Amino acid sequence: MENQNRDTYRFQVNLSGMINILSNHLYSSPKVFLRELLQNGIDAITARQAYSQGGYEGKIHVEVSGTSTGATLLVEDNGIGLDEAEIHEFLAMIGQSSKRGEDFLSTNTSFIGRFGIGLLSCFMVSDDIVMVTQSAKGGPALEWHGKPDGTYTIRKLDGEYAPGTKVYLRCKEGSEAYFEENNLQEWLFYYGALLPYPIQLVSDHTTRLINPPSPPWVKDPQLARKHQDEVLAFGKQVLGETFRDFIPLHTSSGRTGGIAFILPQAVNLSAKRNHRVYLKHMLVSEAASNILPDWAFFVKCLIWTDELQPTASREHFYENVQLEQVREELGNTLRQELMRMAEYHPDRLQSIISLHALSMKALAVEDLSFYSIIHEWLPFESTYGRKLLGELKQQPPLYFTATLDEYRQITHVASAQSMLVVNGGYIYDAELLAQLPLIDPDVQTERLLPEEVSLSFTDITPQERLDYYESVRLADSVLQKFRCQVQLRRFKPEEIPVLYTLSEQSAQWRVLQATKEVSTDVLSSVLGSLGATLKDTAYATLYFNLNNPVIERAFHSAHLAMLPAIVEMLYCNALLMGHYPMNRQETALLNQGIIQFIDWGITAAGHATGGEE
Amino acid sequence: MNLTEMSFEDLMEEAYGMPGGKAKMELLEQAVRVADAAGDIDQGYEARSEIVELGSFHGYPMKTLVAFSWQLGQYDKNPGRFDDYSLLWSYKWVLDRITAFADISRVQIENLLEDMKARYAAEGYSSRTYHYYRAHIFAEFGELGASQAEWDIVQSMERDGMSDCMACEQHHLVEFLAKRGDDEGTLRAAEPILNGTMSCSEVPHVTISKVLLPLLRLGRQKEADKLQKKGYKLIKGNRDFLYHQGEHIGYLTLTDPVKALEVFEEYIASSLDHENPADQMIFNAYSAKLFRRLAEESIRFQVKLPAGHPCEHQSEDVASLAKHFQKLALVTAEKLDKRNGNVYYTELLKQL
Repeated sequence: MENQNRDTYRFQVNLSGMINILSNHLYSSPKVFLRELLQNGIDAITARQAYSQGGYEGKIHVEVSGTSTGATLLVEDNGIGLDEAEIHEFLAMIGQSSKRGEDFLSTNTSFIGRFGIGLLSCFMVSDDIVMVTQSAKGGPALEWHGKPDGTYTIRKLDGEYAPGTKVYLRCKEGSEAYFEENNLQEWLFYYGALLPYPIQLVSDHTTRLINPPSPPWVKDPQLARKHQDEVLAFGKQVLGETFRDFIPLHTSSGRTGGIAFILPQAVNLSAKRNHRVYLKHMLVSEAASNILPDWAFFVKCLIWTDELQPTASREHFYENVQLEQVREELGNTLRQELMRMAEYHPDRLQSIISLHALSMKALAVEDLSFYSIIHEWLPFESTYGRKLLGELKQQPPLYFTATLDEYRQITHVASAQSMLVVNGGYIYDAELLAQLPLIDPDVQTERLLPEEVSLSFTDITPQERLDYYESVRLADSVLQKFRCQVQLRRFKPEEIPVLYTLSEQSAQWRVLQATKEVSTDVLSSVLGSLGATLKDTAYATLYFNLNNPVIERAFHSAHLAMLPAIVEMLYCNALLMGHYPMNRQETALLNQGIIQFIDWGITAAGHATGGEE
Repeated sequence: MNLTEMSFEDLMEEAYGMPGGKAKMELLEQAVRVADAAGDIDQGYEARSEIVELGSFHGYPMKTLVAFSWQLGQYDKNPGRFDDYSLLWSYKWVLDRITAFADISRVQIENLLEDMKARYAAEGYSSRTYHYYRAHIFAEFGELGASQAEWDIVQSMERDGMSDCMACEQHHLVEFLAKRGDDEGTLRAAEPILNGTMSCSEVPHVTISKVLLPLLRLGRQKEADKLQKKGYKLIKGNRDFLYHQGEHIGYLTLTDPVKALEVFEEYIASSLDHENPADQMIFNAYSAKLFRRLAEESIRFQVKLPAGHPCEHQSEDVASLAKHFQKLALVTAEKLDKRNGNVYYTELLKQL
């Protein structure tokens, strides 16, 4: 009984507040009103196609007249049109609250509901909107006249009207650019390049067709292979870049397709990957980065789909299971095409790899079967120069370093011994080299530790061992406090006096020690405890090259007094050259050493001049 | 691209655009070397800030600790030069994993807690975060009573700008209740996380593996199976979640051992050179449990082990693998117990 006394009220929606939300927070630019109007037209055409079978052809007509604030824009479709009840319905939709806040745009997929929202976006560029519509289902033609304060009028029109909807916009001050002919042409193409119905733009002087008739390869991307030039030209027209190669994309459902244009230049790994995506033929996003897997940074794509859910602004896609699946399938198409190239067009593949090696490596790390197909063409840096893996793997076992630092330590020495070592320090390289035996059982790869290079050094003779016994012992004792041992060997090239190698633990221990010096007491004590365990396994080796004439003289028993200073200076120099952090003690050593050598130099010069006198 | 020839700016720009992981860490470490070689403290600080964050969320707690130590030292030496909020915030990340290193003594950990408390107080933050971390650290020591007492303090205080987000706090509570073996309490506390009311960048990722066994014990396997699939997707591929990957192995061992073996094979490689000994211990312990379970089967298993693994030639002998992984886990457990002064972890391994 009480119910009868209860009235239901609806929240009053402030339309200007709503427009403000749309333009400032939802859409990236007011020009989206064009997309919304095109979308309304397309939806109406689709609805009419379902309603009246056969003999019907949809089209959209855009007309601009007048200039500056006197300009008027007409967007007309020959779609299903609206009757009075439907007009009220879409207007009601605008005010309807939604559980998901702004998401109402995306959840509300009914034609009528979307129609109202689309129309609403026109208030971003116009204060005066008139819509004339004739429903294909009959009834009188109607004129709806809306104002941004939220008031509107509806009038029945006399006379005969063909089914469809016309929307007239009067230019609002400050929005002149959106009524400018050339801009309109550009933006209509931008949004509607793939629309399957012709869009015509008419101005005072000209009539032009905005979009080419829908090419056959949009329906079936595989056909793109037969229309190579046309596809490349289209890519240039839409994306503004000149491409030389592309890969057609499709998913198993057939509901997503596209063209992946191979970027003609190498790209930075961190470069934004902006693909252009069309939802139901309409441009949704030109910055969709999440529609392809991360490794696909060597392509720029045009993608069309009708199976993804756009976000509220209709400018991106929701990260959901469907998107994940589409991404995986598109990734698969790319991968399969590359593998096909390896078999039938190795030249084509090679030119792609030479530009986009990093992208290929990123994918190969994730996918062994792909790696196995393309591995021969992947470039690596080695002591023999930059070579392709196919060539490198001919010389088993293939040695590689795990880090850049390790490679740096040994590169000169290894090159001089003609030892092939691959630099595994670049992104993905060490992982790929470690996995190589998995895809080619005939190849052995082995991680080379810096100290292992010394295995190829020539030992000194027993006689030399005796001769240099004292000096080696002295040198060794000098560096003991730095957890570095001294070895005397002969190795190429002779210009290199010493080779400094250190284990991973040793490198880590050095970082700990250096950090301990700058840190706070509390944390220094913690680092000290961690270092204590490392210290036992941390060791470094300084190899002295007896082939080097200066080293030979330095280790001669006649110079024992100078040897400690020489050893210390060469040690510090090795640290500096290797960019290793130096602790206070080592820095002090370097300073003292320089002064010491200057002193010796001056004294020696004094003796020399003294002698002459 | 040649790392050694790249400038600091190039290295950082490259790093900022990379997904979290080993490759990004290498770029940042090179950036630190370049900055240090040039003696540029500001650049050294910037690169280390990134290392601290990357290390905290992608499984390099040791690198985080070292980089943070450098930052804090420079921060004290150069008053006013660096932003205090972000540095104080990352102090929490360091304390999160500090107990995992058995070489760090209880006194040292206590000192860190007090240091954090003093620094927070100096910037006007309350001691709530200090107690929150004491609760966490006591629980990690296996002193659940002491942890409970700290939780009581935390819950009596008001949150402030240094508090973890609500989802993280709720997760820590779930973790604590799970440690106590309170199945129903665990599930009650996890409810707002599981139904999506509370979430953040790592929750529910880390929470789901905590409720799987409680659900199973309460006879709700269907729910558990569904959650396991969801949770596993969330932690897939990130080495920061080794502990939780281990817990998934633990659950699957009871429900789908073959699937458990697949999870093991996927993460064994990243467990080998992992920086967090406690996470390794849990992963190894659940792996041992898995292999004991597989040993009961009459089918022959061929376990995929990474090249160079010490058990490479026993890949068919699951009983030996069980022993190997149990032993590894036990060594760490004993070290941790010795530091903690109890038998919590050795007992825990026995009960798994």
